Amino acid sequence: MELALFIPFAALALAGGLGVIASGRAIHSALSLLLVLSSLAVLYLLLGAQFIAVLQVIIYAGAIVVLFLFVIMLLHMATGEPAARGVRPWRAGATVAAALFFAALLSAVIRTRATADLGVAPAVGFGTAEAVGRTLFTRFLLPFELASVILLVGIIGAVVLAKGSLTLRVHAESRAADEAEEPREEALTR
Amino acid sequence: MPPASDLALLVPELWLAALGLVLLGVDLFVGEQNKRTVGWVAVGGLLLALVPTWGLAGAVHRPGTTVFFGSYAVDGFAVFFKFLAIIATTLVILASMDYFRASGDRQGSTQRFEGEFYTLLVFTGLGLVLMAASADLILVALSIEFVSLTSYVLAAYLKGNPKSNEAGLKYFLFGAAASAVMFYGFSLLYGLTGSTSLYVIAEKVATVPAPALTVSLALMLAGFGFKISMVPFHQWTPDVYEGAPTPVAAFLSVGSKAAGFAVLLRVVAVAIAPSGLDYVTLIAGLSAVSMFVGNLLALPQRNIKRMLAYSSISHAGFILIGVAAFGGAFGNTGLLIYLFAYMFFTLGAFFIAALIEARLGSDDIPDYAGLSQRAPGLAFLMALFMLSLTGIPPTAGFFAKFYIFAAAIERSPALLWLVAVGVVNSVISLYYYVNVIRTMYLLPPQDPARIQEPAVLRTALWVTGAATLLLGLYPQPLITFARAAALLLP
Repeated sequence: MELALFIPFAALALAGGLGVIASGRAIHSALSLLLVLSSLAVLYLLLGAQFIAVLQVIIYAGAIVVLFLFVIMLLHMATGEPAARGVRPWRAGATVAAALFFAALLSAVIRTRATADLGVAPAVGFGTAEAVGRTLFTRFLLPFELASVILLVGIIGAVVLAKGSLTLRVHAESRAADEAEEPREEALTR
Repeated sequence: MPPASDLALLVPELWLAALGLVLLGVDLFVGEQNKRTVGWVAVGGLLLALVPTWGLAGAVHRPGTTVFFGSYAVDGFAVFFKFLAIIATTLVILASMDYFRASGDRQGSTQRFEGEFYTLLVFTGLGLVLMAASADLILVALSIEFVSLTSYVLAAYLKGNPKSNEAGLKYFLFGAAASAVMFYGFSLLYGLTGSTSLYVIAEKVATVPAPALTVSLALMLAGFGFKISMVPFHQWTPDVYEGAPTPVAAFLSVGSKAAGFAVLLRVVAVAIAPSGLDYVTLIAGLSAVSMFVGNLLALPQRNIKRMLAYSSISHAGFILIGVAAFGGAFGNTGLLIYLFAYMFFTLGAFFIAALIEARLGSDDIPDYAGLSQRAPGLAFLMALFMLSLTGIPPTAGFFAKFYIFAAAIERSPALLWLVAVGVVNSVISLYYYVNVIRTMYLLPPQDPARIQEPAVLRTALWVTGAATLLLGLYPQPLITFARAAALLLP
């Protein structure tokens, strides 16, 4: 039963992953990502992490992919023009490196299976919202609190980078003096 | 619930977080022309943060002491890096205040969001403190992301400058990729041992099959290597240092590098070493490659910030000798001493670059010609920092290199080749460091006008200069302190 669910959804996740990197249009990549994220949600369910599976659907497949789609729409409003392709030698090199890494990973996995016993059954109640919440507020209290500080810093950073014009604010008097000499880069306001 | 006494051991972190929030508030009430006030409040708050940190230094020396269910270490090692992070942040804020004002005077403009700049620096300082003390993979991941996130923004802070934008974007893309790879390594380590706590992993890691552990370590090294700008994860370094505001480049070169080494050492020494995996050869190899690549690419550089970036890569190689020599009588101590001394002379060199850039609008080494006549004090300090970066006595750099080489020799005869590589590289580096001194003292100035030195930046410079000399002449207090901090394993 578990295998019957695992194989198709693992294959779907892989296919989606390939789709993300292989498709030329950003919008196709984003939709492939949706496939990856939803298939992963099923895999989480199989692992007994029901709460995480639900969060995966709501937050990743729901909110984040929608956000991606909005950004793509805003950036390529007309047609969703294809992304530029990488330089050929780099692509060849990257393919070789990825293949080597995959081989290393595969051999590690195979040899681990042969020697180690990794079948640990989860405890009763594992993966429920209550269990996740309990862990979050006891064992992982400090990381949880830190995450809130990170979000705050992220907001400050986003405001700094995105707000206002592109540029430095120029003093009125020195701008007048400079304009006679050369067009200032800083004066390129939107 | 964790006991309330756990919170008492977190006072420096809580203080820094509160300081960041206070700065945001202060920034609201300060006029556009007086944003330096925010900087002064930040400096005051950071100096006060040294007080509870000092209290911890006396209270907790037992290695492996953790709070919050084993997720956060409060041992001497963590305290050492708290000092380092707070001092580095303070000095960088001092330098930034005049950097922005002086560049603003030259360009007739003011930096936007100057208040937020100091706030972000303080938060980054908090992130560095957390990185160095994390004893749980999840906290390690979060604190590294924390520091990265603020660093991306800080690198791209000069929004009107395309180079700064490029620096921010490049740093972000490299950083995101490196983090993703590193998290994969974390997840493998968690899957293999069933725990995210480094000290629990240490108990179980001996039963983990070696191939899987090797893959996990290699993946994690990609993330740590990015933070410490180790070859082959160094490509971002010159572009980011060149484009970022110079005080930020200084901060990246010192702060995130030191915290990156703290994390690397804690993960490798605590969680990986008990497995018996031969990580020393791997680290030693990376160390040698970093030294060579950094030094050889630094030779042709004309831009002082790019030159310092490559020098920073080669110094990462030197410090990695200390990681390879971990476990000996000097290994850990040598690494701590090197990082502490390195902080002062690297910050100093970057601060001078910042001052020259703000005053002359140039980063090119040929423009340093005749600096000995235009600003004798600056030229003297720069010469001191360059000698210290090379490792010539009586500066702190000599003493740091001496300790780290001694560590490798003492640890194992198998590391002797690495010491030889280090010595050869010190000689290579002499060429490009002394080239700066030659330009300043022997070449005639193009424009004999004196260079104004802003008061606050000058203070930061003299502090770094004095520390560079003092640590070289009288290192005993630092040695004692680093010895106490160096014990890492229970």
